[in-house]
Amino acid sequence: MGIILKLEGVKKVYQKAERSVEALRGIDLSINRGELVAVVGPSGSGKTTLLNIIGCLDLPTSGNVIYDGRELGSMNEKELAIYRKENISFIFQSYNLIPVLTVTENVELPMVIERRYGRKEMREKAMEILSAVGLAEMADRFPRELSGGQEQRVAIARALVKDPIVVLADEPTANLDSHTAEEIVELMEKMNEARETTFVFSTHDSLVQRHAHRVVTIRDGLIKADDAITERRVEV
Amino acid sequence: MKEVLRIALRNVLRHRRRALITAITMMVGIGLFIGMDSMLEGVDRMSIENMINLSDSSVRIYTKAYDADRQSLPLENGIADPAAVAAKLASDHRVVASTERTQFVAQVSNYRDATYAVGNVINPVTDARVFTLKDHVVGSFFGTASPGTVDRRVVMGKSLAGKLGLKLGDTVVISARTRYDAQNADDFLIVGLLSTGDPVIDASSFFITYSSANDFLDLGGLVTEMDVSLVKHANLSSMERDASEVALLVGKAFPTLRPYTFQELAKSLIEILKVKRIWTYMIILVILLIAAVGIANSVLMSVYERIREVGVLKALGFRKREVVWMFTFEGIFVGLAGSFLGAVLGILIDWFLVGTGVSLGKSAESVSASAGMAFGSTLYGTWNWGTITFAVLFGLTVALIAGYIPARRAAKMTATAALRFV
Repeated sequence: MGIILKLEGVKKVYQKAERSVEALRGIDLSINRGELVAVVGPSGSGKTTLLNIIGCLDLPTSGNVIYDGRELGSMNEKELAIYRKENISFIFQSYNLIPVLTVTENVELPMVIERRYGRKEMREKAMEILSAVGLAEMADRFPRELSGGQEQRVAIARALVKDPIVVLADEPTANLDSHTAEEIVELMEKMNEARETTFVFSTHDSLVQRHAHRVVTIRDGLIKADDAITERRVEV
Repeated sequence: MKEVLRIALRNVLRHRRRALITAITMMVGIGLFIGMDSMLEGVDRMSIENMINLSDSSVRIYTKAYDADRQSLPLENGIADPAAVAAKLASDHRVVASTERTQFVAQVSNYRDATYAVGNVINPVTDARVFTLKDHVVGSFFGTASPGTVDRRVVMGKSLAGKLGLKLGDTVVISARTRYDAQNADDFLIVGLLSTGDPVIDASSFFITYSSANDFLDLGGLVTEMDVSLVKHANLSSMERDASEVALLVGKAFPTLRPYTFQELAKSLIEILKVKRIWTYMIILVILLIAAVGIANSVLMSVYERIREVGVLKALGFRKREVVWMFTFEGIFVGLAGSFLGAVLGILIDWFLVGTGVSLGKSAESVSASAGMAFGSTLYGTWNWGTITFAVLFGLTVALIAGYIPARRAAKMTATAALRFV
């Protein structure tokens, strides 16, 4: 499998009042297509910043992000928005479903924004992905009527519905109990296998890490370890 | 855009109570604005109509020489040939009638106390065609004089009579200088009391006929003014146009005459009405601005509650302008509901004011006195569709701006900043 994402010397400095905070201090990282990568590290280590930069929600202070051979730094704002819209999906810690839209409407939303599909096709794709995450019977419910695990499943369905190349998940299991967290990661694993979608997710949870192909450990804005999970299992 | 609309509409429905309170504030503001405008327009119209009907007529004609000194009401410089002027006026299709008058200063007394008043010499028959004094008289508006006797009848303002403790059927002593500057006084029988609502007429005027004045004031048929009644129109501007045209016609035909239109005579009244209206509009504007703040607050609360949602939408690919529209639509929906309800409320208020009116009851006289102008016992409003349209458009504009400003702030946030927002 070829490299889909490559980060070269990525630095990110935040200016807080008169103080500079170095969130990332030179990250070099390559992610292969279809990989399931866990980014781990303590709070404030730079995990979220890394995901935001990969997802073009934030721009690096220096360094390059190369997606499928194309340097993102050379893109203008509009091209970045298109890149994000067509290739990347996000899963958030707090699910962040739109409360006034039903489950189906939430899942359809990325397709509505992309304006690539017809009404009927959108509904079919939404129902297909909702069946895949086991929520077809909840299609007409509103987010407030769902449990946390169900909401995160909907968020996963929303992230996958437009067949993105990369899904970025920032602490997707942080608000869930361990059993549900395991289920969610298993679901991501299943989707990764079935659709060959690249997943990059940040987590604190060691149980969740076990499902990843690779675990990237980040501390103080630097990568401290980058282990293939099979090697780690052998070590253990 | 359809999705943006859907999210906006559902968000409004999700916060029904908040939206409803804002819409009601707006409804009250707009409804009051429409109602107040109707009432003010009605009061203005009634004041001017009363002025035309009771004292000034549509066009008043003096000679230029009299006009120069008319404040002292001299019995000189009269209109040379009133019949020729009347004939000229009668030939114009806009003229309904004309009448002659002569004003003079007099002292009226009940034998013990005396007060100054303005005497009006009139021809009761033609005067009643131009003015509506006859409709406001208790007793008679002269009627028929007893043949073979000297006419000494007077119709007095009710307040003037009251001031002297006089009533219908009593005798009042009128004392005045004649045309040739001799002092004359005589007893006049009060045949009618006027209660018009116009404080000038009611409290300081009396009316006698030319037949009595020719003898009492040595008038010799002197006519110092002519008053003209014109065809009535539904709107004031058409009446103003007619009055100007007729005045111009008279001025051209009789160069020694100085015709005044009612708008010239009521200049100060119209100015006062304008100032009053500006102040009232300011108050209403404040009410509408409060409604605007309500909408802005409502949208602002909605924005702050949903900052993270903005982050998600932006992460999903929503553009800045779509975020702006989403929140702006929320403001517009509330504004639309408020404006529509406000228009309905305003129309209901107008409907009541135009149809039933507000009865002043016994306070009509004191209201007229304190306002310094004549009001009827009932104040009626007028339909003003221009104001209703303006109020609705104003409400929508306010809602649009009030929604847009916080929406723009929300849209300016980056996705990451919005997602970090707690």
